[in-house]
Amino acid sequence: MRFGLSLAAALLLSASPLLAQEHEAPARPDVDSMVSAKVAEEIQGHAPEEQHAGESEASHNVDIITPHITDSHHMECPASWKIWQARECHLPEWEPIHIGSFELDLSPTKHVVMLWIAGILTFATLFFAGRGARRYQEAGRAPKGFPNAIEAISLYMRNEVIMPNVGHHGERYVPFILTLFYFILFANLLGLVPYGSTATGNISVTATLAILSFLMVEWAGIRTLGRGYINTIVYWPHDMPLAMKLPMTLIMTPVEIMGKFTKPFALAIRLLANMTAGHVVVLALVGLIFAFGSWWVAGGPFIMAIAIMMLELFVAFLQAFIFAVLTSVFIGQIREGAH
Amino acid sequence: MGIVMLRLLSILTLALAALPAAAQEAAQEKPRGLLDPHAGLMFWTLLIFVALWLLLRKYAFPAIFAAVEAREKALEDAIAAAKRDREEATKLLEEHRRQIDAARADAQRLIAEGAKAGEKIRAEMIEEARHQQQEILDRARQEIGAERDRAIAELRREAVDLAIRGASKVIERNLDDETNRKIVEQFLGSLQTSER
Repeated sequence: MRFGLSLAAALLLSASPLLAQEHEAPARPDVDSMVSAKVAEEIQGHAPEEQHAGESEASHNVDIITPHITDSHHMECPASWKIWQARECHLPEWEPIHIGSFELDLSPTKHVVMLWIAGILTFATLFFAGRGARRYQEAGRAPKGFPNAIEAISLYMRNEVIMPNVGHHGERYVPFILTLFYFILFANLLGLVPYGSTATGNISVTATLAILSFLMVEWAGIRTLGRGYINTIVYWPHDMPLAMKLPMTLIMTPVEIMGKFTKPFALAIRLLANMTAGHVVVLALVGLIFAFGSWWVAGGPFIMAIAIMMLELFVAFLQAFIFAVLTSVFIGQIREGAH
Repeated sequence: MGIVMLRLLSILTLALAALPAAAQEAAQEKPRGLLDPHAGLMFWTLLIFVALWLLLRKYAFPAIFAAVEAREKALEDAIAAAKRDREEATKLLEEHRRQIDAARADAQRLIAEGAKAGEKIRAEMIEEARHQQQEILDRARQEIGAERDRAIAELRREAVDLAIRGASKVIERNLDDETNRKIVEQFLGSLQTSER
């Protein structure tokens, strides 16, 4: 009950920047999005009078969904000490670094900031949990409360998820997979708090994590199989006559290579889609309230949005877990494979 | 882990690093969409994640797992100690039980022996008492018999004396004392034998 109430409060708070965004929206160039154009049009058409106070024409499309789920150089931040009122802050834009013909724009965006926060939160959480665990251990007792919770999660991930999947001597992969889990979890959860944004709903982030996971998988294969690693790329059946071997190799090698690359691709797209979808649904539901502009309609979407937010909370944990599980499964597969 | 592997890995890394670059060029033309990768963000993700990974590997996970492992070890030690103690206790209990059994058997035996000895003593005492009684009875009977014989003899002598004295008084003159006496005593003797 208390949890539900606080979630509702969180939803209200996270919706408040939306209102502010609507004020500013006409100042920004429109972004074409098929999903949100209709909702946005309705918002402009039927929004309550006070929302229109400063605007002369209500003809152009306002997209509240695409700016929310895509990266930008703007961020929502508290307008003043009244933290429930949001305004847009501009993040600094730096000159891109040129490496040959390649342009690298390192200026911090909304998602970069979120990643930093997620990283710092992850480190702080685990570091203090570790310190707490050590302190309890020195006192000769089992940890209680927060360190115990972190310990339970880490232990579950290590003993029940990572080690059985990775196989023997999988200890060296535990920190990597646990880091993946916690980092993705915090990045996911940051999308659910006011002023937050889901960095893991960005293809660049998920692709980078997936590529890292891919590299880890291949490295695990090289480490474990040594020379036999070649067999995971080139299909070379040992128990067939040569006349069969050659066509099989020709057909199966591209399949093997494709198989290698579909795994990280699926990882990246799965995380991106899961993190984005929930936000689109919540925003569409909240958008309904403004589209109808009626107190009589507001209750339904509000309750549904709370339900979706709860689902999102679950999905945040689930997707972090799945990413970690699949990475350990892939590592286990390549270590098992090509006997 | 040869040179070949390292070279392979570096080629792989380069190939993957080139991916976002290609995508970035494609993304230049139109506004940033949902599926357009952004090299800067990828760089930051890589940096933050790898930094986090190294930091956590050094400062967080060892502490968390060391605590758990220490606890597990303590627990295992405690379980082993408890098992050892229990085995020892079982052994001791077994020994005590055996000792108690032995003591009980001893006691039983002692009681039985005591009872037997008591019984024997009692029987002996009864036997002795009976014997003594018999002895006393025999002696008494003997004495009584002797007394009676003596009394009979005495009485007889007295009777003889009385009779003689009476008879002598009657026939003092005409009869020789000694001869008469013999006659009477013969008579009495015949009387005695006929009585028996």
